[in-house]
Amino acid sequence: MKRLWQYVLRYKLRYLIGTACLFATASMVMAIPYFTRVAIDAIRGSDTDALSVVMRCTAAIISLALVQALVRTVSRTLIFNTGRDIEYALRNDLFRHLETLPQAYYQRQRTGDLMSRLVNDIGAVRLMLGPGILTFINTPVYCGYAFTLMMLMDVRLTLAAMAPFPILLWVVKRYSRAMMESTMRTQERLADISSFVQEHISGIHVVKAYVREQARAETFRTLNEQFKHESMEVAKLRGRIFPFIRIVSSLGILVVLYYGGTLVVRGTLTLGQLVAFIAYLHILAWPIMALGWMISIYQRGRAALIRLDEILDTVPSIRNRPEPAIADPMNGHIVFEGVEFGYPGSDETDSVLRRIDLEVPAGSSLGVIGRTGSGKSTIAMLVPRLFDVSGGRVTVDGIDVRDWDLSRLRSGIGFVPQDPFLFSQSIGRNIEFARPDVTQEEVMRMIEMAGLDSDLAEFPHGVETQVGERGVTLSGGQKQRLTLARAVARDPRILVLDDALSSVDAATEKRILDELESVMQDRTTIIISHRVASVRLADQIAVVDEGRIIESGTHAELVAQGGIYADLHARQRLTEELEAM
Amino acid sequence: MGAPASGNGRSPAGTRGPQRDERLEETRDWQMIVGLWRFVRPYRGLFLISMLLLPAISACLLAQPYIVKRAIDDYIAVGTVDGLGTWAMWFGLCIAGEFFFLYWQHYFTMLVAQKSLADLRVAVFEKVQAMETAYFDRNPVGRLVTRMTTDVDVINEMFAAGALTVLMDVLTLVGIVVIMMMIHFELALVTLSVLPVMAVLVDFFRRKARRYYRLIRERIARINAYLQECISGMTVIQLFAREEEVYAEFDRRNALHRDAYHRSNLYEASLFSIVEAVSNITVALIVWYGAHLVVGEPVSAQSAVAGVVGFGTLVAFIEYMNKFFIPVRDFSTKYAVMQSALTAAERVFALLEIQPGIRSPESPAPTPEAAGTIEFDRVSFAYIEGEPVLRDLSFKVAAGEHIAIVGATGSGKTTITKLLTRFYDVNEGRILVDGLDVREWNLNDLRRRIGNVQQDVYLFTDNVRENIRLWSSTIDNERVEGAAAQVHADGFIEKLRGGYAEDVRERGNNFSTGQRQLLSFARALSHRPEILVLDEATSSVDTETEELIQDAVEKLQRNRTSLVIAHRLSTIENADRILVLHHGRLRENGTHAELIAQPDGVYAKLYRLQREAEDERRAHMIS
Repeated sequence: MKRLWQYVLRYKLRYLIGTACLFATASMVMAIPYFTRVAIDAIRGSDTDALSVVMRCTAAIISLALVQALVRTVSRTLIFNTGRDIEYALRNDLFRHLETLPQAYYQRQRTGDLMSRLVNDIGAVRLMLGPGILTFINTPVYCGYAFTLMMLMDVRLTLAAMAPFPILLWVVKRYSRAMMESTMRTQERLADISSFVQEHISGIHVVKAYVREQARAETFRTLNEQFKHESMEVAKLRGRIFPFIRIVSSLGILVVLYYGGTLVVRGTLTLGQLVAFIAYLHILAWPIMALGWMISIYQRGRAALIRLDEILDTVPSIRNRPEPAIADPMNGHIVFEGVEFGYPGSDETDSVLRRIDLEVPAGSSLGVIGRTGSGKSTIAMLVPRLFDVSGGRVTVDGIDVRDWDLSRLRSGIGFVPQDPFLFSQSIGRNIEFARPDVTQEEVMRMIEMAGLDSDLAEFPHGVETQVGERGVTLSGGQKQRLTLARAVARDPRILVLDDALSSVDAATEKRILDELESVMQDRTTIIISHRVASVRLADQIAVVDEGRIIESGTHAELVAQGGIYADLHARQRLTEELEAM
Repeated sequence: MGAPASGNGRSPAGTRGPQRDERLEETRDWQMIVGLWRFVRPYRGLFLISMLLLPAISACLLAQPYIVKRAIDDYIAVGTVDGLGTWAMWFGLCIAGEFFFLYWQHYFTMLVAQKSLADLRVAVFEKVQAMETAYFDRNPVGRLVTRMTTDVDVINEMFAAGALTVLMDVLTLVGIVVIMMMIHFELALVTLSVLPVMAVLVDFFRRKARRYYRLIRERIARINAYLQECISGMTVIQLFAREEEVYAEFDRRNALHRDAYHRSNLYEASLFSIVEAVSNITVALIVWYGAHLVVGEPVSAQSAVAGVVGFGTLVAFIEYMNKFFIPVRDFSTKYAVMQSALTAAERVFALLEIQPGIRSPESPAPTPEAAGTIEFDRVSFAYIEGEPVLRDLSFKVAAGEHIAIVGATGSGKTTITKLLTRFYDVNEGRILVDGLDVREWNLNDLRRRIGNVQQDVYLFTDNVRENIRLWSSTIDNERVEGAAAQVHADGFIEKLRGGYAEDVRERGNNFSTGQRQLLSFARALSHRPEILVLDEATSSVDTETEELIQDAVEKLQRNRTSLVIAHRLSTIENADRILVLHHGRLRENGTHAELIAQPDGVYAKLYRLQREAEDERRAHMIS
């Protein structure tokens, strides 16, 4: 809530003007019954100029109605627009914050959940700030106004006519709690259904293989029944509150009619005043009805705000030190010194990397090979600080990466991730993402280097071909090659290939590696792979298993050693032979 | 490639493009209402009750101003209170009636809504469940879950928010006009004279606003698409240090969305203000024209005939107009709720209309005697057109024979099991089980005959027992425990605190890989299939479990035909016959001894690879 106030205060002037307009509107609305009363009393009093009084009253009401329409438009537009402005600012701020959160955060958080927060929850907050605030101001203003004006006419009748309102407050207070609890139970049942379906579909192959569709449908029906039951509880509660809100002003009119009628007959109240009373009660009906609605908006908005605060309160664990260092220009000399790494939250025995010592001189290449889960990819991710080490340090040009200016460090690194991610734009635009000032010739050269030129020839629009969401229109190998082109287009000092050619067939891989050789010549390169063919040409090769470097040396040395690398080499040659058969 | 299934890919807010004109939208609305009626129909009795309550509510509502009129004209204005109590009582009764009928109306509506929407949800569930496997390859789980939960809930909102009471509103509005005309025709005409002006203005602003609603829908969809993409690609954005540029684009889309809303807010506020102003102007008209009538100095000559009008009439008219504008103000909210409900309904019904690609034939052939023979007859298959996985594959398996299928990754081994159980249909050729083409089988009988153990064991959140018998009532505890004992799963199950009643967490998180495999064996065995299809897992387990698994696989195969995609040397060596698959073709076929005798054959190489992999796995276990 505190954070929300900062946004609201930013627009305090507009809220103030909006509120002033609301007051003005309310004043005009409240003046109308007054003129009705004057007109009626004039006729009833059989004044000689009764009709001219009526004319004046009529004119007054009509002008009030017209002016009021203008002021009301201003107040509503102002307040609702401010709600939208805050929604806009809040969404931007959230997005900005998301950009600072590290990969570890995205591994924990599901995309759907984050989306829902930035879309639905922000919407709920906006509802609270626009229509919510409007009602929040309106309802007390109208009630207070009406109450005062009625009191001025007749104290006892006012108290009698307003008697149902405190009852209403009590009913709303009493049932809104029950209703919230009931609504939450309904939401839980819905979540049950949701997880059941989720699991059911994930395991549908088992259900089908064992012909258990009937049994599962039965369970689904049961869950559905439970949900239905809870929903009916909510419906019953709603059925009690909402009709009550609807009739409460009619109850007031009943009092005015009977008790007020008696007062008119006795002569202590004029007929015009009685009519005015009825009119005030009518005016109140609408703000009162909005009250129930406001309560639910407020509750939803608060819950949504808590969920948004969870994002905004997440401190980015990877960010610049107060005075970050840079080496200009970057040479690309990488050193791992006693590096330890374990994913945040996991215990020590699960550590991914243990005492890794490596030195990659500027311009040289390092191959890292190992099985899935050996920790080889983690080595690559520590260089651009996708994760921070838990022990030891990684330095680039002698500076600890944690001391580097983050964006300068990353700008010097061309990273090709394992899972190729492309934006749903054209092939060309995806390469330009690396560097906006990249020329068309460079784009074409990158495409050629990545072995994409022959594929491109088959695409209908060449470089302009749209790759679709996450690159769905491309094959796995094409995606990987495009991400490679993107990384090289950056013209980085350090090039990191994290198992980046896994979906490419052996022949294409060989071609790309040959092409890459010229690119790699004056850059530091780290190639992570599970294939011997990818790393064999590297200046040094490290074999990683269970987070440790168990063998290292050049290809020739390692093969001669007859260890795990040599085994792998033999086996992969066999696989290659098999593939070729 | 990548295109969503026909008629199912509609994303929440986005794809209802602007090119869809209003008439199309209206036709759609009617189709959806007819579609919903199919589900409401079984509860039409209840629905009728709730509909009949609507006029009752209207009547209670409409009587109130009339009572006020009588009370004023007959008693208050003439200065007598005798009998005023009776009218007050009538008024009270009307309020009570309004409350009572409103409550029951809401109750019955919700009852109908809940019952019919529960049916709808089940219908969607059963439809989705019946879909062929390829459907699930195309449609993400999240989307299907949304159809059954969020979308149906949005439809429910239509009932809950009282969108159906629009009918009551119309009834009330017509009632008000009729009653006012009956009380005093001329005054009614004068009062209602501003309504056409209002209608024209409202329609003008509504059209304007509507254009912006469309823009808003498009623009929010564009924000969401970008957001989704950025969240999934955040690492890439950060790696390329392009946060600023990406933020600028997000800001642009966000601002466009806000601007569209600013415009629509202006129109909406104008609309609301106009309705308010008109409602006040009608009061002025009633006072002005009515006063002339009361005083007996009519504004026009004709009205003199109409006679004297009492104060009560004026008050009643003001009251009626007040009641008139309540539904008018409410209408746009109800309209919006209804629109989103109908959009949701459209998505749900589109899903209901899809026919599953693989289902039992209309009149399945009689289920053949259980023997356990399999024949692949020149089978070709591709998941994606132009990328064949199996090519012209033919082989026969005799009853009781144990077959091992070996082949390199991507040779099409697993596909064989998927075709056998008709998870996919062949593109060419045919598959016979017990002499009958699988496409002529009753699908359920076919699948019951084949026990299927997949490589990736899937466990459900339930207990151990249910995960073995899969909620089958025909498999009793004894059979569950017997099966578990045979495959050596009993050892670890009995050590669990809850034994067979121990909870299994999502995806079997609380069990080790080896334990999960043994459980899936117990599952297959307890169902006593005639044919066993087993896709051996490649993951490494500890030596002890490995031995248990090896023995369990043998037990599983006993007394039935088996087709095993083998990764274990023991399974391969023990097989009666080995089929060697290479690039989707059957390359070699024979016993271990026969095949190993061809040193340049695929099998010989595969065997060496397998053995080395196993050696490494062993070495790994010891270290």
